[in-house]
Amino acid sequence: MKKIIRILAVLGVVLTSCEDELSIFPEDSLSTPTFFKTEEDFTQAINAAYVPLRLINNQSKPYLAEMHSDNTYFARNTAFGATEQQEDIADHAIPSDDGITANVHVERVYVEYYRIVARTNQILTTIDEAEFDETVKANIKGQALFLRAYSYFDLVQFFGSIPLHLTPVLGREDAALPLSNEDEIYAQIVSDAQAAIPLLPPKSQQEPGRVTSGAAQTLLANVYMVRQQWAEAETVLRAVVASNEYALMTDYADAFSGNSDNKNNMESVFEVQYKEGPEGLDGNFLYNFIPRPITAEEVGAITGTSNPQPVNGEGNNIPTPDIIEAYEDGDLREEASIQYVTISESFWQDGVYPIIKKYVEPHSLHNNHGMNWPVYRYAEVLLFLAEALEEQGQAGEALTYLEQVRTRAGLGAPSGDLGEAIFRERQVELAFENKRWFDLVRTGRAIDVITAHGARIKANPIAYYYPEGVEPRSNAFTNITERYALPASESSLNPNF
Amino acid sequence: MKKIYTSLRILSFFVLLILACSAYAQDATVTGTVSFADDGSPLPGVNVIVKGTTNGTVTDFDGNYSINVPEENETLVFSFIGFTKQEVPIDGQTEINVTMTEDATALDEVVLVGYGTQIKREVTGSVQTIEAEELADIPVSQVTQKLQGKLAGVQINQTTGKPGQGMSVRIRGQLSVAGGSEPLYVIDGFPISGGINNLNPDEIEDITILKDAASTSLYGSRAANGVVLITTKNGTAGETNISFNTSVGMQTVPERGRIEMMNSVEFAQFKKEYYEDQGDPVPEIFQNPSQYEGQTNDWYDALLRTAPLQNYNLTITSNTEKLRSAVVAGLFKQDGVVLNSDYERYSLRANLDYNVSDKVRVGFNIAPSYIIDNVPRTDGTRGQGILFNALHTWPIMPIFNPDGTRTTFNRFPADTGNIFSYANWLTSAEQIKNETKDVNLLTNAFLEYEPIEGLTIKTTLNAEIYNRRYEFFSPTTATFRINNPIPTNSEAIWEDRNDFSWLNENTVTYNKSFGEHNFSLLGGFTFQKFRRDLSRVQAQNFADDRLPVIQGAADINRGGNQTFDEVQEWSLVSFLSRLTYNYKGKYLLTAAVRSDGSSRFGSENRWGTFPSVSAGWIASDEDFMQNQETFSLVKLRASYGVTGNNNIGNYTQYALIDNTVNAVFGNDLAPGSAVNSLSNTNLGWETTKQFDVGLDLSLFNDRVSFVYDYYTKNTTNLLYNVQVAQESGLNEFSDNIGEIRFWGHEFALNTVNTTGKFRWTTSANISFNRNVVESLADGIDRVYGDSGWHITKVGEPFGQFYGHLSDGVYLNQEDLDSSPQVPGRSTVGSIKLIDVNGDGVITRGGDDDDRAITGNPFPDFTYGITNTIKYGNWDFSVVGTGSQGNQLLVRHLFSTTNLDGVFNLLKDVENRFRSVENPGDGFYGTTVGGGNVTGIERDWINDRFVADASYFNIRNITLGYTLGGVDRYFKSARLYASIQNVHIFTKYWGGPNPEISVQNNGQGDGGNLESGVDISGYPVPRIVSVGLNLNF
Repeated sequence: MKKIIRILAVLGVVLTSCEDELSIFPEDSLSTPTFFKTEEDFTQAINAAYVPLRLINNQSKPYLAEMHSDNTYFARNTAFGATEQQEDIADHAIPSDDGITANVHVERVYVEYYRIVARTNQILTTIDEAEFDETVKANIKGQALFLRAYSYFDLVQFFGSIPLHLTPVLGREDAALPLSNEDEIYAQIVSDAQAAIPLLPPKSQQEPGRVTSGAAQTLLANVYMVRQQWAEAETVLRAVVASNEYALMTDYADAFSGNSDNKNNMESVFEVQYKEGPEGLDGNFLYNFIPRPITAEEVGAITGTSNPQPVNGEGNNIPTPDIIEAYEDGDLREEASIQYVTISESFWQDGVYPIIKKYVEPHSLHNNHGMNWPVYRYAEVLLFLAEALEEQGQAGEALTYLEQVRTRAGLGAPSGDLGEAIFRERQVELAFENKRWFDLVRTGRAIDVITAHGARIKANPIAYYYPEGVEPRSNAFTNITERYALPASESSLNPNF
Repeated sequence: MKKIYTSLRILSFFVLLILACSAYAQDATVTGTVSFADDGSPLPGVNVIVKGTTNGTVTDFDGNYSINVPEENETLVFSFIGFTKQEVPIDGQTEINVTMTEDATALDEVVLVGYGTQIKREVTGSVQTIEAEELADIPVSQVTQKLQGKLAGVQINQTTGKPGQGMSVRIRGQLSVAGGSEPLYVIDGFPISGGINNLNPDEIEDITILKDAASTSLYGSRAANGVVLITTKNGTAGETNISFNTSVGMQTVPERGRIEMMNSVEFAQFKKEYYEDQGDPVPEIFQNPSQYEGQTNDWYDALLRTAPLQNYNLTITSNTEKLRSAVVAGLFKQDGVVLNSDYERYSLRANLDYNVSDKVRVGFNIAPSYIIDNVPRTDGTRGQGILFNALHTWPIMPIFNPDGTRTTFNRFPADTGNIFSYANWLTSAEQIKNETKDVNLLTNAFLEYEPIEGLTIKTTLNAEIYNRRYEFFSPTTATFRINNPIPTNSEAIWEDRNDFSWLNENTVTYNKSFGEHNFSLLGGFTFQKFRRDLSRVQAQNFADDRLPVIQGAADINRGGNQTFDEVQEWSLVSFLSRLTYNYKGKYLLTAAVRSDGSSRFGSENRWGTFPSVSAGWIASDEDFMQNQETFSLVKLRASYGVTGNNNIGNYTQYALIDNTVNAVFGNDLAPGSAVNSLSNTNLGWETTKQFDVGLDLSLFNDRVSFVYDYYTKNTTNLLYNVQVAQESGLNEFSDNIGEIRFWGHEFALNTVNTTGKFRWTTSANISFNRNVVESLADGIDRVYGDSGWHITKVGEPFGQFYGHLSDGVYLNQEDLDSSPQVPGRSTVGSIKLIDVNGDGVITRGGDDDDRAITGNPFPDFTYGITNTIKYGNWDFSVVGTGSQGNQLLVRHLFSTTNLDGVFNLLKDVENRFRSVENPGDGFYGTTVGGGNVTGIERDWINDRFVADASYFNIRNITLGYTLGGVDRYFKSARLYASIQNVHIFTKYWGGPNPEISVQNNGQGDGGNLESGVDISGYPVPRIVSVGLNLNF
């Protein structure tokens, strides 16, 4: 019996240490109770908040914001089937019953922007409790506010009423919120952008690639432009100009990032940053914008890689005859923006297609490149300012800003109505930079312009890259609306829509 | 096998003989006849040996034997399978005639239950035991393959034929969203952390399946999927035995069930018609299809081969007064039927039991094994699995150049519609290395002390070490992808995994009887801990294909979590207790409880308690049953209990930070971290409450025995990553939510049809399992499979196939105009889908589109039947297994019926719609209109993809012949020949294996949410083998 007692005693000792043995924290990753404490934690957190922009701009946003306009279209490959996700966007034929759609690009843009919102909410909610250098803290807060404002700005422009999350979601119950109307969303965007401006350093004092006070001012101005608050827009835009942080690049072609050089140049206000290589930081949008099927040699001729591969599927974001037509004679920007490639195996005519040249930069790895995506350029600041002044009847000063942009393009004074001239200037200056669809909507022209665009395609499909005998689908241009329907996958998880 | 009553009988016989005999003889010859007790007929083939020696013989056809006996005081041992072993002291006799009786159908057997043994007659749970001996002739590498068809209520499927892989075991239909369905495997009392596919079957003595909650609840939070107890070999009382078993076989892929694809002529004809119907000029290579007569390149067939298989096992068991031991050494080597696939297993096991004194016993088992397994990327979808790639490669693409060398790469000009290019798949199979090397060590030690009669204290220490090295290398000259021209980028993956698990168990058992009241009480405390360290590196672009080493790689691939370290740990502290009580041996009651504390459970929910109770009544022991001869056993059983499933992940309760969310500024990487899950301090196990009633019958002198069970169980608190609105920045929240109900019937029947010289026995079982999803999360009535081909929906069985419903094709313009269409895509001759939601158009996407449940991967019932015949020295057995009512999703149709002529096609597509006048058989649609039209038929998965996969497989036929007393060194020898997978009777047309379940990437069976998908997997071979068992 003594032995039994001894064994029981041993058991007792073991039991007391049970609870310790049962607490095992993961060794290969950190968890929330220990994170969000130090400067390094918040630096990593703000870095992660930028990350979804890479995915958004690599494919889906260019389709929603550019291919959805009259600037670009898709190039039909009759041998390839699964392309309706892209075609529906270009064709204004997205199935959208009851205000929801299953389109994957719509869903991706929605989900990825909310990812930024969640990451910035986490930072903004916890950063004040952490103790570290106040300058660094202000910088991080400013970046977080900018990214949240920018995300909501794109979301509200695409979708209209959306849920407004301003604190981190902690449980299943608070994951889905009711829709807030556009006025509520815009009020928050303005407030965040205004708060970000004084917190952020100017470009010259910020690490290249991060957002700056100038970027926040440009964002705020853009919001005012959409809201047609011209005077407020003018004020912040003048501040950007007066900061002397920016200037136009001498050569228009140099305004755009190279594969590894010329990034965040003096014209750049904000760019989405990519990096070529195996770290998973690369983009491949150039490849998404190439007509197909295309041979390895032809891919190599465009990309300059040593290991080109043939690419199949369907090419998207192909410049339309209309955008090509929109360049005035002698506009230097046409040659910098559009190039022609021969696709020998194409089913369309002679296979000589225009493609977007802004993003053609030699790189070394197939389907992996490092060009940044332009979000705001100084040229747009000038055009915004011109527009804001023109809207307030200050045509003379407006013209000076417009001419700065035109002069670099090798053009003289504009002709005709100044307001129209500024609008046309935006189409060509900012072509393929995800501006056109938003411009059409904010100026109230979307329905008319797209209806006419659709009629042109149906009347002459061959001009819009349809192979001979192939007609646009019968549902093409049957669902022209100013806002995208909300994602169906989210509708089933949020009882409010 | 212990047989208490039999032993008693032998003992009394022995005592009588000693008292009766007084004569002595020296170095004599003993002769005699062995006959069958029931009818006096002679018994051939009975082993007769001198006890404790290797001196033995076998009775001849008339039951006669003759044996030389060196010493007069020896004992003869008579043994024959199915009969009670007899020991007869010689005591100077020269003629010893023996009558043998058949084993009472093992009712006095002791069976293994969790943490102890019980007399089978007194077991109140649902338990089935299989002796490994019954499985010995089946020439396969995995125990679970051998068990197919043998167990009621256990569905065992071979989801892929990859050597050494692919078995799925499901007990009583159990499944869950995330918790898997594999049962808990317990080897010699040690719950191991993985499966048993690498265990040498020859090391096994017997296997016990615990099915109901009363049997499993002592395994607590790991028991809900059922428990499989495996006992390894040890010395048998009174004998030293050396046996050598070997078998060699050849494996081939049967012709039956291969997918019938177009040959070159048919394919060229299809392409010709494609262009004609389109109104386009026919490319030159298709203008004259008959030019390809006799020139079909059957890529699939070219990847297959006839492959050998061999198995060697040496077993030495011995038992002296103090020491029992068994040593098993095994070598199994299987070349696969697909080029460059093979599996080798080297295994050793040493089991020792030592009686230190009357009261103290110690034991020690150690079992190392080494396994090398190389299977090229055979399974998976287009561009993932070589077999599927081969299946749909154009038959006019040459495998060989005219000079006999292999082609490296095939592509025709784009105007032929060949939009993808293809590597030479033979080269891919041969050059791509996809190898695992496992070093496994399983060891147990125990100390048992019996201080007073009936009280046993036992402590055990167990450890499992598992090291796995995985190497993948694809050189520049080969690829498993499509459209990846050669030379391509070389790529490699290395993965090193080290698992270490240890367990300490301490139990006290006390047995006591008070008059007719018999008690047994068990109490215990256990502690188990597991740790895995895993490192994975993915690299590409090697300087030289001959040096696939890290330092030779230009790039280490860090994107998308390709290269990482991982640590997985868990710990489990448990208390357990069981009370077994019976009155007069006929009123039986057992109650058990286990309490588990687990590191996996949230801090607010750390302990789970799993009780069970069961009762039995042996009605045949009652007085009113004594005056009849028909029933020798009538037992009624009932049980109820709670068990858990703790396969919820090790760290699911924590809100984890993903520290690989890296940004870039300028050209500099900036490390980033983001919250990627929510914490749940209440996270816990899945709970299964099970009720079982059973009836055990033995009739006609135990010649017929029958077991029936009905069960019903509810699994609640399903661990489930509940999707949350992604506006939260997250995708899901891990929670215990939802309920599934299961129920089923199991019948098992064993009969001895004839006895004596011609002995024929049959064992058969049939099981009916059902499930229905009772609830999911609030406001969520469905979960889709990741690929969107399955739905798990409230009110329906789990994991149903999901898609559109088809109704032929639009036969003409009038049909088209009057039917719902896919806007912008439907044309005359294209597939006609049913407007399920009645909105007038056919749509896909969202919950309220036109998709519906199209099929069910679960069978209505599964069954198995084994017939064994012994006639003299001959033995013959046939094992058949079947499944009825299960369906498969023939997923490869998205390529093999692609109407754009991009791939080779099923021969059936010849009968497609070509025009209003020539609509074919109304099944496959028109090729006109390109992907915009034809894409619906293949991409919008529909009920045409669902096929009946009911089957009956003659799993094994074995014919054996036993020789006794070959010479003085051999006790006996047995020669046998067997055929595995003799023939499958099935209507399944989607491929050769009606048990298949392959995931898109070919790396698994898809889990419960996405089971039953055929994307062309490694075929299961037919094996013709011969074997030899030698006993020394």
